[in-house]
Amino acid sequence: MAVTTTLTWNEERSFQKLLGNVSLRLLYKSSVHGRSTVEMQNRCRCQGPIVTVIYHSNSIFGVFTLGHSSDMSESFIEPNASFFFSLQKNETMEMKTVVLNSTVTFYHNNLTFYFSSYYNQKLSLNFEESRIYIPRIFEEELIVKSHAKSTFLECEVFRVEGIKDEAGYINRITRATQHRNSLLADVRAYSPYADLVSEIRILLLGPVGSGKSSFFNSVKSIFQGHLTRQAIVGSDVTSITEQYRIYSIKDGKNGQSLPFMLCDSMGLDEKEGVGLCVDDIPHILKGCVPDRYEFSPQKPITPKHPTFITSPSLKDRIHCVAYVFDINSMDNLSSKMVAKLKQIQKEVINCGVAQVALLTKVKNCNEVLQDNFLKMNKAMISQSQIQNVNKILGIPLSRILVVDNYASEREMDPVKDILILSALKQMFRATDDFLEDLPLE
Amino acid sequence: MEKLGLSQIYISFQDCEVFRCEDLLDKRKMSGLTELKESLLCAIRNYIPYGGLVHKVRILLLGPVGAGKSSFFNSVRSIFRGHVTNQALVGSDPTGTSEKYRTYFIKDGKDNNTLPFILCDTMGLSEKEGLDMDDIPYILEGHFPDKYQFNSLKLRPKGIGNHTGCPLLKDRIHCVAFVFSANSVGQLSHEMVEKIKRIRRELIKSDVVHVVLLTHVDTLDLITKGDLIDVYKCVPVKLQLEAVHRKLGFALSDIFVVSNYTSEWELEPVIDVLILSALKEMLRAADDFLENFPLEKTVVNALNGEDAAAAAAAAKSLQSCVTP
Repeated sequence: MAVTTTLTWNEERSFQKLLGNVSLRLLYKSSVHGRSTVEMQNRCRCQGPIVTVIYHSNSIFGVFTLGHSSDMSESFIEPNASFFFSLQKNETMEMKTVVLNSTVTFYHNNLTFYFSSYYNQKLSLNFEESRIYIPRIFEEELIVKSHAKSTFLECEVFRVEGIKDEAGYINRITRATQHRNSLLADVRAYSPYADLVSEIRILLLGPVGSGKSSFFNSVKSIFQGHLTRQAIVGSDVTSITEQYRIYSIKDGKNGQSLPFMLCDSMGLDEKEGVGLCVDDIPHILKGCVPDRYEFSPQKPITPKHPTFITSPSLKDRIHCVAYVFDINSMDNLSSKMVAKLKQIQKEVINCGVAQVALLTKVKNCNEVLQDNFLKMNKAMISQSQIQNVNKILGIPLSRILVVDNYASEREMDPVKDILILSALKQMFRATDDFLEDLPLE
Repeated sequence: MEKLGLSQIYISFQDCEVFRCEDLLDKRKMSGLTELKESLLCAIRNYIPYGGLVHKVRILLLGPVGAGKSSFFNSVRSIFRGHVTNQALVGSDPTGTSEKYRTYFIKDGKDNNTLPFILCDTMGLSEKEGLDMDDIPYILEGHFPDKYQFNSLKLRPKGIGNHTGCPLLKDRIHCVAFVFSANSVGQLSHEMVEKIKRIRRELIKSDVVHVVLLTHVDTLDLITKGDLIDVYKCVPVKLQLEAVHRKLGFALSDIFVVSNYTSEWELEPVIDVLILSALKEMLRAADDFLENFPLEKTVVNALNGEDAAAAAAAAKSLQSCVTP
């Protein structure tokens, strides 16, 4: 039998993607090289990060160990960060993961993983009799069923190639999805301060091409589970967006509307008479401009307009303004644009609404947040673009958000999702501050 | 040994390595691709347009003469037939081969049901002749029937099947695909680029979501069949995507790469996957258009068209948005 993996091509691709677009090289296959831990150790020694894949009756699960197995003849005495994942061989091909620190021992032809957080549980493979002992934690977290005399069909070990940088690697691969899901739950559970409004309105304002419409598309994509393109985006000399749009987002394809609305506007141009008219902005902030209003760069909206909303209530107003900039052009804003922005900011401050800044098109998503994803990296914060926003617009550092929209990707990425959802969360917080400060009516 | 250019008989070697030869398109990959193809076919067969607002979505193919619009329709039809077929006339005549506006339904070979989308094929765009810019708003609203002959006299039919002259949602175009040939998109003339940008502005005004199809990807230099599996990672393809992005202003994630069936007799999974993936994204784009369409208009539309089911669906969506 050849030394080729039993994984199907699609299963291998799923594993590769899960581990961060790496490639896998088969080193050891129990049915070919013999069921013996000695044989396994010989083949897997000095190979760097490895993945051990075990084929069970109707599921496949694997262990990824980052530690250098430079000396696999001895047991790993230090608990090694490793994570376990399983793949159900059914329609959905669902993958589940759990991170556990484990130590590995080879003893009497038994390969055993002991978990440092679960003292009396272990994953143990007996090579002679092909028996496998599945710990309870696997049944819970990975949905792998175990029977009294479980046997495993096959055991393969792969070398993992192409890990970009090891620091924080396991953390990102494993915690990213978990953290993304918890952020998603937070956003779903949000409800505006004191239920003063049922949906908060966040206005996206910024230069042409900065990524306002893309931001809406990206948020919608996260809740739909795949890339969507409801707002038309692209790059042109003048703004692609020509209408004022108040977008609400459903949770899932047929779910409930989420408690926030993103208001997309025409891009700002430094030239006069082009792009969003600055005089439209007070009307937008007060909530007088209706959905689908066609902007006219030379003329702002007037109360005489047929669809002008004459007595907007709190729910029609903008509650939070997000200044959206392309992070790569932040350092070269023209003085005319800065002047325009300051003029606009005066109006925003007059209305007293919350302000945040959104910097888009960041080049490396992984470098924005710290490993625990709870706040921005110091290196990121000290970058000139962020400092510039702080200086020019006076936005506090905690309200300057960095994202990368889905405009050039073809697949969802949990780290991107984390940046976008964290930005939303900060917008919610800023809005709640504004709502709390409103005079009681 | 002399033939290999080695002079001595006994030579010392530093290292000996043994490699396994792996085929890029081996059996394992082929069965993986077939699995992918089946799941794409299944997704497309089971597709239901957003909110049940229409039964079938209309996808308009627009592009320069010879870009591969009719070939794309032929390729999609072939995949659902199970073998390569040619219904639309294709060719590389500089004045264009399609002269009529065609709206094609596709039957699913498996159970003979028609699939939930209609591909609308037009005349090619060209600098001087070809499709007239003024025809485009009429096409978008669905005024042209199948087999409408484009004519220079501009005798256009008014709204079809409805007395108020208001276009029905089901007759409108729900998604536009600009079709370009991958190996000539970088050299589009200035006039053509301007024409396309103007058309794009029309689409933006009508809120019609659009994507880009780059055809003939297999004729790009340095691209082989085996590369088509991970085609978006190939450098020549990336360069072409960048060129479309720069020249025409489309977002990179809105550009899809395909290879149409031209001279083949049998289907190939790797090509099928590319075509079906692009089709799936077009259906999603159509959903985005339907979701974006002003709700009040859809109810009026559906009532006018006496389509009770669609009217009910639209009324339901309207209500769920209005009542808190």
